Amino acid sequence: MISAPGGAHVPGSSGGHPAAGATPPAGAQPHGSTAAPVSPIDEIPLEELSLEEAIHRVEELEHEGRPPLAGTLSNILTAVAVVVLGVGTLIGSAELGIGTASKPGPGTWPMLVSIVTILLGVGLLVVARRSHDGERFAKASGLVLVGLVTMIVFVVALPIIGFEIPAALLCLVWLRFLGREGWRLSIILSLALVAAFYLIFVGALSVPIPHLF
Amino acid sequence: MTVLVGFLPTPEGEAAFAAGLTEAQRRGEDLLLLNSARGGAPVSADVAPPELVADLSARAEAAGVRLETHQEPHTGELADEVVRVAEKVDASVIVIGLRRRSPVGKLLMGSTEQRILLDADRPVLAVKP
Amino acid sequence: MDFAPVLDGFGVVLEPTNLLYCLIGVVIGMLVGVLPGLGPAATIAILLPITFGIEPVTAIIMLAGIFYGAQYGGTITSVLLRLPGEASSVVTVFDGFALARQGKAGTALGIAAIGSFIGGTVSIIALTLVAPFVAGFALDFGPPEYTALALLGILLVATVGGGSRTKAVVAACIGLLLATIGRDTFTGVERFTFHNLNLGDGLDFVPIAMGLFGLGEILYNLEERHNAVKAPSSVANVWPSRKDLRQSAGAIGRGSVLGFILGILPGGGATIASLVAYAVEKRRAKNPERFGKGAVEGVAAPETANNAAATSSFIPLLTLGIPANATMAVIYGALLIQGVSVGPRLVHDEPELFWGVVNSMYIGNILLLIMSIPLVGLFVKILRVRPAILAPITVLITLVGVYTVNNSVFDIGLVIVFGAVGYLMKKLGFEPGPLVLAFVLGSLLEDSLRRSLLIFDGDPSGFFTRPISGTLLLIFVLVVLLPIISSVIRGRRASGRETVPSDTTTKELV
Repeated sequence: MISAPGGAHVPGSSGGHPAAGATPPAGAQPHGSTAAPVSPIDEIPLEELSLEEAIHRVEELEHEGRPPLAGTLSNILTAVAVVVLGVGTLIGSAELGIGTASKPGPGTWPMLVSIVTILLGVGLLVVARRSHDGERFAKASGLVLVGLVTMIVFVVALPIIGFEIPAALLCLVWLRFLGREGWRLSIILSLALVAAFYLIFVGALSVPIPHLF
Repeated sequence: MTVLVGFLPTPEGEAAFAAGLTEAQRRGEDLLLLNSARGGAPVSADVAPPELVADLSARAEAAGVRLETHQEPHTGELADEVVRVAEKVDASVIVIGLRRRSPVGKLLMGSTEQRILLDADRPVLAVKP
Repeated sequence: MDFAPVLDGFGVVLEPTNLLYCLIGVVIGMLVGVLPGLGPAATIAILLPITFGIEPVTAIIMLAGIFYGAQYGGTITSVLLRLPGEASSVVTVFDGFALARQGKAGTALGIAAIGSFIGGTVSIIALTLVAPFVAGFALDFGPPEYTALALLGILLVATVGGGSRTKAVVAACIGLLLATIGRDTFTGVERFTFHNLNLGDGLDFVPIAMGLFGLGEILYNLEERHNAVKAPSSVANVWPSRKDLRQSAGAIGRGSVLGFILGILPGGGATIASLVAYAVEKRRAKNPERFGKGAVEGVAAPETANNAAATSSFIPLLTLGIPANATMAVIYGALLIQGVSVGPRLVHDEPELFWGVVNSMYIGNILLLIMSIPLVGLFVKILRVRPAILAPITVLITLVGVYTVNNSVFDIGLVIVFGAVGYLMKKLGFEPGPLVLAFVLGSLLEDSLRRSLLIFDGDPSGFFTRPISGTLLLIFVLVVLLPIISSVIRGRRASGRETVPSDTTTKELV
């Protein structure tokens, strides 16, 4: 629910996220029979924890429903990707002409930034084993892929058949498949949304977006 | 064996609970209160607040019936969840409350009760408030 | 000090259009703060296309309203549901939710509203006095000073976010590289355009911001599994008692000052301000055990501080042209699109804009205070809407909205690409904020650097001989070296302790 940077920095310390799977579901219902066991840490009421720990607990609730943290391999791959990016742009800058300090060329600045990027990428590689901030790609990541595909289909189909049908299809997929809403609600809402967009953008604002009707 | 009550904090839900309690007493079985809201949103009017749950527990205790409450959210249709839980605990009967629905309402919003009646593989007791 | 422009600014604010947009901004802000998923940066990014059709003053008034409105909105969910809607409302959870459990949710919300109002107002008054001074001072800035300032600004924002510093700086570097795409202003050479016509003029800021913050966030949230759902809570007693107010007075006062100071620093901002204010209040309280159990000061302090900080974080943007955080970077972009030249000259060249925006914050804070209590019930009702329904609406608004900027389908493609980038970045632990910040500052930074090198005739030591740029660069170097130094010190302390046998395992803080 927090959409700003996930780690609130407490002055004087650097927060790390707990290891994957260490946090059982918190926020237990008073009369519910919950499936997962409640760990002893969660039984300590919030007020008795130190400020740091209390903040951590609140943030763990944030990450409760998310996939587990990334392993060393993902961290290494990420670091390598950064280095590759840096090398790529370095080569590109060299082609543009590096120039000299007194006469900077178009490639000077990109080259400087590329070098910094490469160094940082190497730095990431060094600490790959210890970093805790990535996440693993889980089954739920497939949903993200589906979401992206709907958007790609939208932008590809838009110039050909107008925005109405791709938009309706996008809404349908997002509501029914990604949101697990019922068919009835999904269809009705998709049609209603496209109608609303038509009225607002094509009707009221006269935006020259390609449209079929 | 358990009596499963599909519960919402509405008059229909109250009727279902009352009927379910009587059933459980009659059969000498436990009572499972299923109060599951659609997952996703942080707040839902379908969730029975703690005070209500406490009140229901007290009534069950007074009637000498053991009450268990499940309040985990579900994804998908509530009807499917009710049928699924009924199968999981092997309920002897499902108790639900009926809402009055106009034909248009049923068309637009569907009828959970109808789905449960049709899909359940065990007796269903449908009551009105 | 010449107060005439300040008073003229009020004239601008009281125009009906501007009042309306201020109201709209504040309401949208509160809404966004309450709803999980989108934050003020994402919302402002998605609404950028709207700013095209209206005056710059009006646009910024609305966007500013969204920003500080969201600080209060996040409080509502913190108090009622124990779920912080914004990072700056995390600390409010402790005492706020405790108060709600005691049936005093209204007290908590009321104190938060009053504290926010006072904090914001104090901050605006201080801003009114400080800003022209800073802008005047910065008029003497030349290219070397701008280079140093831009570098320092980017570094501070990258280092003081959550998550890995290194990754944040990498994000910033990517932003800088993205800014180089297009025609080089000095030589006219095309850089990194791969002979694509659409990239010839460089990347547009709007699709990047909308994609990175808007679509990226929505895609990231798709992976979220369901959390527990709560029953709707009612807010009974709606106003804090006089005793509560008196108890919180000190906290509010201290929070205002702390918030103002911490908000000005790039990378500082509302979150840090709320944390520090809470910690300070707890430390100086006569019985600190009350904190966490429903102490009103525990709500007053962070809420006052975060609004004060949100307001003062406008200072670097409006006086120096350096955004202090991701949201300010997006607002900077909005100003650029409108053709407003952001920098120290802004106060002098466009006093109506400057004072219009600043004075609108008074009005906005009053509106927040007035509307916060009656609208709470409404906002809690809105929380019942499932995110699965809001998501496609927001996606469509983004996709169609970005089209309206240039009537270009390529932009839609761009926003999708950056949506994917934004998702990957969040997934792998890279902050998107520094990227956007670096992107908007990228051309300024490169221009200033090249101009400076021309002035110094290729001799980089020239940066250090000038007093201002020298100081700034010194701070830059210190900030870069600080984590290295502190980890070395910690390492030495730990090895000293290893000689003493111990059974306890210490949690490794990365």
